Amino acid sequence: MIYVWPVAVLTLIYLVLTSNFTLNNIVAGMVVAVIVLLLFRPQSGNLAWKRLPTAVLASIKYIIRLMVDLLVSGIQVARIVLSPSMPINPGIIAIPTRCESDLSRALSAHAITLTPGEMVVEISEDGIMYTHMLDVTDADEHVREAQEMRETMLKKIFE
Amino acid sequence: METIFQLIAIIAITVGTFFSIVGVLGMVRLPDVYARLHATGKVGVFGVVLLLVAAVVWTPLGWARALLLIALLMVAGPVVAHALSSAAYRIGIPMKRPVRNDLEQK
Repeated sequence: MIYVWPVAVLTLIYLVLTSNFTLNNIVAGMVVAVIVLLLFRPQSGNLAWKRLPTAVLASIKYIIRLMVDLLVSGIQVARIVLSPSMPINPGIIAIPTRCESDLSRALSAHAITLTPGEMVVEISEDGIMYTHMLDVTDADEHVREAQEMRETMLKKIFE
Repeated sequence: METIFQLIAIIAITVGTFFSIVGVLGMVRLPDVYARLHATGKVGVFGVVLLLVAAVVWTPLGWARALLLIALLMVAGPVVAHALSSAAYRIGIPMKRPVRNDLEQK
């Protein structure tokens, strides 16, 4: 029963990619989706239906936030690259994370990489993310603030 | 309506091309692996995303595919940057003129 949603989503993606909505193709998409699911075996997290609306809203907010971050980081790196003197002070700093599960840690690292001038190089066992930054001068405070905000958003999605 | 879409598409193509060029320039100009990955992993993705936005508003047929591609690119770009930088650090490629390195003291 838990596999119904993944199959539906995967089938939809297949249909979108092939842009062919005949019955044959829908059946073919379902077969492909089932094969993919058999190969990957998703872990069945207990989906809490009660808090689904909040989670979906939080996810949408989070995606918009990521888009804005991508835009800002593009502009910032472009400015650094195009300026003749190349004003960078590169370095690696440690950012602690409060996220517990593997998935939210991975998403958190992903979000950090999308934020301006930061890129996760390594994650240690206890969840400290070592992040390469183009400009490490007075980075600490700024980073901690952004990290707090992102983690509250992720918490809203997952808990 | 048609004109507005065309305008959006033209702007997106121009800006997207600009950022793609910046990505390549950054690849050449920045000093080491880690800094270069900032340019390719993010600015490059940003450029391609904008070109796809142009495809979304310009062509009536491919919009769903283009949106899917944008989503996949936004997931894949940072992951690639992360994987490459992690691998580079593990085989011991040094940073050029680092100001600070917390990972070293670990």
